[in-house]
Amino acid sequence: MKKRYLSLLLIFVITLRLSAQQEWIVPAENLSKLSTFAFSDSTRKAGMNLYITNCKSCHGDPGKNNVIKLVPPPVDPASDRMQANTDGGMYFKISQGRMPMPTFKNILSPTDVWVVISYLRSFNPKYAQEVAPKVLTGAMVQNVKIHLNWLKEKDQVQAVVSGTKDKIEQPVAGAEVKLFAKRYFGNLLIDEARNTDAQGQVLFNFPKDLPGDSTGYVQLLARLSDEEAYGESKSETTLQIGVPTYKPPLNEQRAMWNVVQKTPIWLLLSYTFTVLAVWAFIFYVLFQIRAISKSGLSKDQDTID
Amino acid sequence: MSNNTDPINENEAQGNENTRRAFFKKFGLIGAVAATGGAAIYSGYRYEESKPDRDLVKVLTADNRLVEVPRDQVKDVKVDLTRLQKLGREGLKGHRWVMVIDLAKCRNARQCVAACQNAHHLRPYEYHINTLVMQESKSTAPYYMPKTCQHCDNPPCVAVCPVDATFKRQDGIVLIDNERCIGCRFCIAACPYSARMFHWEEPLMAEEDKGKVYNIELNVPQRKGTISKCLFSSDRLREGKLPYCVSACPNGVYYFGDENQDAVTNGTTKETHRLSELLRVNGGYHLMPELGTKPRVYYLPPKNRLFEFVDPREQNKNQEKV
Amino acid sequence: MSSEINTGFLKDKRLDTIAADILRPVGITQGFLVWMAFLSISLAGCIYAYYIQCDKGLIVTGLRDYVSWGMYIANFVFFVATSLVGMLISSVLGMIGFKWVKPIARIAEIIAVAFAAIAGLVIVSDMGRPERLPYVFMYGRIQSPILWDVTVVTTYLVLSTLLYFIPLIPDLAISKGRIGHTPKWLQSTYETLSVKWDHTPKQYQILLKLVRILLILIIPTAFAIHTVTSWLFAVTTRPGWDSTIFGPYFLTGAFVAGSAAVVIMMYFVRTNYKLEKYLTDYHFDMMGKLIVLVSIVYLYFNINEFLIPAYKLKTAEAIHLQELFVGEHAFLFWTVQLSGLILPIILLLFKFFRKPFPIFIIGTVMLIASWFKRLLIVVPTQENPFLPRQFVPDAWMVYQPTIVETAITMGTILMAVMIITVLVKFFPVIPIWEVAEEECHTNNDQPKV
Repeated sequence: MKKRYLSLLLIFVITLRLSAQQEWIVPAENLSKLSTFAFSDSTRKAGMNLYITNCKSCHGDPGKNNVIKLVPPPVDPASDRMQANTDGGMYFKISQGRMPMPTFKNILSPTDVWVVISYLRSFNPKYAQEVAPKVLTGAMVQNVKIHLNWLKEKDQVQAVVSGTKDKIEQPVAGAEVKLFAKRYFGNLLIDEARNTDAQGQVLFNFPKDLPGDSTGYVQLLARLSDEEAYGESKSETTLQIGVPTYKPPLNEQRAMWNVVQKTPIWLLLSYTFTVLAVWAFIFYVLFQIRAISKSGLSKDQDTID
Repeated sequence: MSNNTDPINENEAQGNENTRRAFFKKFGLIGAVAATGGAAIYSGYRYEESKPDRDLVKVLTADNRLVEVPRDQVKDVKVDLTRLQKLGREGLKGHRWVMVIDLAKCRNARQCVAACQNAHHLRPYEYHINTLVMQESKSTAPYYMPKTCQHCDNPPCVAVCPVDATFKRQDGIVLIDNERCIGCRFCIAACPYSARMFHWEEPLMAEEDKGKVYNIELNVPQRKGTISKCLFSSDRLREGKLPYCVSACPNGVYYFGDENQDAVTNGTTKETHRLSELLRVNGGYHLMPELGTKPRVYYLPPKNRLFEFVDPREQNKNQEKV
Repeated sequence: MSSEINTGFLKDKRLDTIAADILRPVGITQGFLVWMAFLSISLAGCIYAYYIQCDKGLIVTGLRDYVSWGMYIANFVFFVATSLVGMLISSVLGMIGFKWVKPIARIAEIIAVAFAAIAGLVIVSDMGRPERLPYVFMYGRIQSPILWDVTVVTTYLVLSTLLYFIPLIPDLAISKGRIGHTPKWLQSTYETLSVKWDHTPKQYQILLKLVRILLILIIPTAFAIHTVTSWLFAVTTRPGWDSTIFGPYFLTGAFVAGSAAVVIMMYFVRTNYKLEKYLTDYHFDMMGKLIVLVSIVYLYFNINEFLIPAYKLKTAEAIHLQELFVGEHAFLFWTVQLSGLILPIILLLFKFFRKPFPIFIIGTVMLIASWFKRLLIVVPTQENPFLPRQFVPDAWMVYQPTIVETAITMGTILMAVMIITVLVKFFPVIPIWEVAEEECHTNNDQPKV
């Protein structure tokens, strides 16, 4: 009896834990976040492409409920449960992720996340978008430009941020800037995120040992963190600030494991020499069999037997 | 095309063929690419549908540059085997791929295994990558270890191949050419990591793949009586994408990148780290370094693990009992 | 072998007797036809098994990803090993000057030719894509031990064939007038193959020179062929194969297997062809002593191969040795070591066991044991790789040969037996001229030593 009671308790606790795990609570301040642009057919189409590359492998085709089996299970985007999220809730969940959903903030830009949300909302006929008011604190900065310089004596990269405010081009102060070096599969954060000073300038310490291409060029990318305030602002520059890197192809040297054209010389010579020598003798023997035949005929025709 | 204002197309009047020539000239691709009728373009062009108003597509050229091409300039070329074999054997210039596997994060989700088998048309028990349950000794803690081909810089499997069917490319990847393989299985015998598999019977999707042109970088169609193995998803690398297993992992176990750039990117978080830094901070190591194989796969030790260890074999046994 | 030949024996009457004795069984007989029919029908079954394998793939064998080399490779090593005896008997012993090897040299050479010829087919039976065999020649990588193996097996086969054929030429000339009871085509074959041999001193001089070249050439080739075969295993890092003495270990093992095969064939030839006069108890006695010698050398290498790793017990080696000594393969391992090596050494020390029939039985047991010994070299190592075997079907864990696989292996043995049968039945199995020369030479010209 006692055992039974215990097991009941256990089940209760487990259920509680499970439901806690199922529920994904978004911090209140994030719930009301809104997109700064209106969703349109073009954002929905772009969102679909992003969805196919990044989300479909787990969330399946919206409305078909063909999600993959994970714990907790992914939710079908067309379902009521998904659509019950506020826009801000969706934004938070996509950006932050939780086990087993990946964090997308490094994969998708804020605009990309909103674009994906615009696609997800297209499965909800009752949805009516609420766009964030255009006026934002200290904003109205347009045409943001980031200029990157190399300060050789200090091993630093200087970023100068300027933008048009009230139709006058002026420095953007107090904006967070991130500097990246472009690598094959993603962008490597250089130093850390820093804020611009009154002149719109910010300095990044650049590592002395970062490999560049064969002549030392590194492709840099600078970006303002607050995309909502400044729009999608990034700048790409190539500077000769890396360590010139030329590493020869890995299959260059002669080796036992390389292709036949790259056989070690000693092996090639000894193999060829041995085979040729042995077969030279074999052919000599074969020709001598002919000599046997001839030397029989040229002598007496009468055989002994 | 008529309403296209792209300056590239201003000499359109000279006829389509000329336009194409002029265009290629502009990008310095007239040589091999034009000569083979743009065969290079096969290697993966991606529509940038997010910008439908500009009618350009991104195309990856044979020398691995991403260029933008007006959509109507792209001609679908028939994929031809010789071309594929040549590209596949050459590899990507200037790169040395590396993988870092963080054992602290692996909880045996086996998503990597599934994604790999799906991409390469394998059965559930045929592995290019397998996650193993490891325990060094009775007193040490068990852990999960994803095991791929180590793409050794001194590959014992390649050394013994009698026909150049398996080979090491300039970017470090050890590939297998199942158009060449004679099925002697000497490489299986020589590999200390048991990384290779053999098609003992007709492959899983033999029917579906019939008539497909063999892609050496994907090893599809798989072929009966030949070897198959992990390819570091070289078809994906060519497109600038991370390998199948790396992108499929839900737990951030895998990092993949280029040793020449000293950078690896995590497949789950997509965060890029410096390879040297990652290995230094976490104590990266090679599997069985005493064998002198010089692997291109690094492991980070299973310390401070995020997940409780559950022995999948015990789990199965218990299920069977019930 | 002396460089001068006294052709006096050709006029000696004793040549006629010897030739008549040796040539009596030559030709097509009822027994031969029945035996060949039996072999052919059995072989047809085995070829059907191979057809199944080609159709379905190697899935019809017991081989899987972990144990991917099994019976076929063991059989290949066995074939190469057995064929080596041709070199040992005719070359090493012959050149040292042992006269007693003369009548059995050709038997050893027949075994060499048959087993070396089939060894190539055995390796094809193991290939996943046998139709791509030409690739080995088209795209051969000379860094691969397989290519070295292909090169030396081919060379050894050619050398053995020549070493069988060239000393046969005078016999063909002697025989062509004396085999009236055989079909026409066989007689014309004799005519062609005897390359107008007229027993001139010049011809003997060339012949002896050629034989000496071949005898010298075949020693390094034979060493190479089996050393390279051992390297197929020794170039890997696997416990049980990663050994520096694998070359001599295989080579000495080959002499054991080959000598046993020679004894078996000697016994068959002696009893079936009534050649007791030429293959005497003395020859069996000497073969018995030879077997003891080569077995002791092989035992020495066995002790080296197992004692040293067993002393150190490195992790992977320890698992491997445990499996062999007390584990899954212990029964087979100890049976093979006792019946194929230790017991023969002890028994053959006694004169009684060196008599034809007892040594024939011992030889048969040894030859079978040496086949299984190869299986024990090939399989257990692969069952214990460095990394654990997990998440694969249970059937993959243990190697269990299938019927198809066994049939194909049997087929290769049948083919070797067929080649031996044909050579033994159509051509003189004991060198007539050498025996006659030896007999006349020792009896007439010189006092017996």
